[in-house]
Amino acid sequence: MSIKTQPLSLTINNQHYGPLEVPEGLMMIDFLHEYVALTGCRLGCGQGICHACVAIVDHDSGTSEEVRTCITGAHFFNGKKVRTVEGLAKTDDNGEVQLSPVQQAFLEHYSFQCGYCTPGFVNAATLFVERLAKHPIPLVDLEGAIEKALENHICRCTGYVRYYQAVRDVVLKTPGLIKEPV
Amino acid sequence: MFYAGEMADQLKSPPPEWMVMSRRYTTQSVDTSALEPDNANGWYDATTQTLHMVVPTQSPQEVAQEMPVMMAKGHRTVKTLILHPCYTVGYGSKDHYNFPYYGAVAAMYGEGTPVRLANDRFEQFQSSLKRHAFDMNYDIAVNRDTGMLQSFHAAMTADGGGRSNFTPSVVMVGATAAQSIYYFPKSDLSAVGLASRALDAGSARGYGTLQSMAATEMMMDEMAAELKLDPIAFRLRNVLKSGMKNTQGAIPAGAIRADEVLEKAAVHPMWTERQKRKSEYESQYPGKRYGVGFGCVQKDFGTGAETSFARVELSENGQISLWHSGAEMGTGMSTSQSVLCAEWLGKPADEAHFSVTDWSVLPVETSGDPYIMSQEEQDKLQTNPRWSPSYCSPSSASNSAYYFSHSTREAARLIFEHGLWPAALAIWQTGIGGGQAAPYIVRKEDARWVDGGLTANGMQILSLEILAKKAYAMGGLTGAAVHVFNRWQWAEADFTLGNSRQRIPVDGLSVRSGAGEFKTLARDSVFYPPTQRNNASVTYYSAVGTLAEVAVDIATGKVELLNHHSIMECGNLIVPELVSGQLQGGLAMGIGHALHEYLPLYEDGPGDGTWNFNRYHLPRASDVAVWKQTSDILPALSETDPPKGMAEVVMIPVVAALVNAIAHATGHRFRDLPVRAENIREVLQ
Repeated sequence: MSIKTQPLSLTINNQHYGPLEVPEGLMMIDFLHEYVALTGCRLGCGQGICHACVAIVDHDSGTSEEVRTCITGAHFFNGKKVRTVEGLAKTDDNGEVQLSPVQQAFLEHYSFQCGYCTPGFVNAATLFVERLAKHPIPLVDLEGAIEKALENHICRCTGYVRYYQAVRDVVLKTPGLIKEPV
Repeated sequence: MFYAGEMADQLKSPPPEWMVMSRRYTTQSVDTSALEPDNANGWYDATTQTLHMVVPTQSPQEVAQEMPVMMAKGHRTVKTLILHPCYTVGYGSKDHYNFPYYGAVAAMYGEGTPVRLANDRFEQFQSSLKRHAFDMNYDIAVNRDTGMLQSFHAAMTADGGGRSNFTPSVVMVGATAAQSIYYFPKSDLSAVGLASRALDAGSARGYGTLQSMAATEMMMDEMAAELKLDPIAFRLRNVLKSGMKNTQGAIPAGAIRADEVLEKAAVHPMWTERQKRKSEYESQYPGKRYGVGFGCVQKDFGTGAETSFARVELSENGQISLWHSGAEMGTGMSTSQSVLCAEWLGKPADEAHFSVTDWSVLPVETSGDPYIMSQEEQDKLQTNPRWSPSYCSPSSASNSAYYFSHSTREAARLIFEHGLWPAALAIWQTGIGGGQAAPYIVRKEDARWVDGGLTANGMQILSLEILAKKAYAMGGLTGAAVHVFNRWQWAEADFTLGNSRQRIPVDGLSVRSGAGEFKTLARDSVFYPPTQRNNASVTYYSAVGTLAEVAVDIATGKVELLNHHSIMECGNLIVPELVSGQLQGGLAMGIGHALHEYLPLYEDGPGDGTWNFNRYHLPRASDVAVWKQTSDILPALSETDPPKGMAEVVMIPVVAALVNAIAHATGHRFRDLPVRAENIREVLQ
């Protein structure tokens, strides 16, 4: 018996892949790990509960969303633009890696311990910061908005405090994310 | 047994002034839920008969020792094992566990291709080591007139599942911890590990003490209520103080500061205003009941046979390299051990390696069981100059801050004393009439690392680069590898270093002079802690107290954690951010244990393969008062206090604090964990 495949083409971290023959029903996390060697998305529960596996999908409409790659088939992403944790840092002309503001803040705040859930938190926090850039919120709503953005992400090590503080710090240090009081 | 019988008789027929309270407490089986499930990668190269393994483990040395033993019994020859222990997380469940060996077996059948064996979450629930479920019967006597504790009888069992993992020691540690922070003039504590058809239980953060100390703390609140005493004031009357004996008869190390923790909690507004806040909250939210609870414990760190290797090297251009046997498991020990080099060498390690299993640079031999060997056996074995009672500890038992730090520090200290300090003196004494040093008295104890390098009593600041070059030129000590052993006291040995004999708290030593090779120094004599110290069971403690403020919904039974405040004593902090991170994470795990996490032991339990995070609730940020929680860490007595292990103690007092808070809110004292909404609904209805 042979495994039935279908072609898959997509863009991941600004790099085009495909068409690749990929088994039908293969979950995106397995595609990322086994076909394109991007292992940053972590398998935590395989049920879409813990969100350690999320990737970012950027839609043509200009909106972006988190998608759980452990419960979403690879072919759902056909033709889509995907970002994973591997794509968030930039490398300058000298080959120096420049972490994203969220990644840098997580380091400076000692936000993570074992680090297994961290890619999911990085992606969720990145999306959150990008959303605020388009739709700033009043300062008084900031903590509640962080809770809403990150609540689904499970961390067993840290008790969440240093993740949340880091995100608040990024937002407060980035101009334009908080609405000035009228 | 005679005294135990006498105590039992007295508890049955107590003096008239005694109040004897008997209570039963039970705790549940819990999955440690390390987000990285158990896994192993392996490749057997038949052409060279080499097995390559990448394994996440808290105990790399155990795997390095045992895997060849297992492979030797197979029908395929393994001539070489190349082991890559890696950064992991387990909270105990990846210590002394089977999975690396399953991975090795799978690799042998890979037909030349690499094999990855990894649990999914269902399989992880089905097979990973669980926290022991305890069943504890406590009888505690207190003098009604004085409020002083008199006698403590505890009999506890723990369900170890089908295969004995760490059950014997978990129950022993649970029993020795049951006294919590109190002094009991009389105690009779017994614990039994039970074999059952449940899943295997092993090491899990808390190691039996979570279960036994949280129970004691719940009982203290109930006793205080019976005596009509403030619960913290009652604790203060009975708290163990420095120099007093624990229930095993040992005097704990150094100052015991649980009393300071209690005093701080007693004046915290969450405590002093609890009745006022209760009235206000309940009038504002008629459908809810408000409560504040407190718990305070002190937990041991270490096992009574703590060993580690550390090797520190200084390059000629001042680069510091560290190799350590400890495994990083998310607690930040790779950071803290690197940082510790700065104390003696002026800056953190530039390069650091952990989970190191190849210690051919310092040959150490071991035999016998360090926990149970007789004094005669130890005396005989230690005549072998390479012998130590134990080879190498896993990362466990909150052992990095104190025990692993000891080996790192001692290695760095030797480089300072026998490499950098003589080099500095030589530079400062250069010149006419003894140079810049002559007019001043320059002593080693005045040495200080400051911005730019080393100074002492006004001497010119010398950079590490200059000192390193000089040390190399002089043939001074530029590398040290040490092995250390602790049985509630450090082993010491005499070594000849240069022209002098020196006693240092290590039992194995190799050194490198200048750019030479490492040479192992034979110890002139060794002083191991007497085997009798095993009876102490514990001498090192860290204390934590937690206040918790809850609101209980009368209709649903749901407990909302409004806020919590913790007070901790753990000596000097190596990296404060890592300490607070451990505290915050431990609190979250304690909250899960108290209110949410539950696994049936037998047929409906995780062995049936249907368990995952959809039905096993791990605390979320909204469960832990993520923005409001606060903490207060007692300042060290001086800059010389040792850092103390605190990765487990942090999760324990919040368990009792929550149950006590629910009692304050609802009037009902729960004694079975977890206390879930349905349990509360039952009593409220």
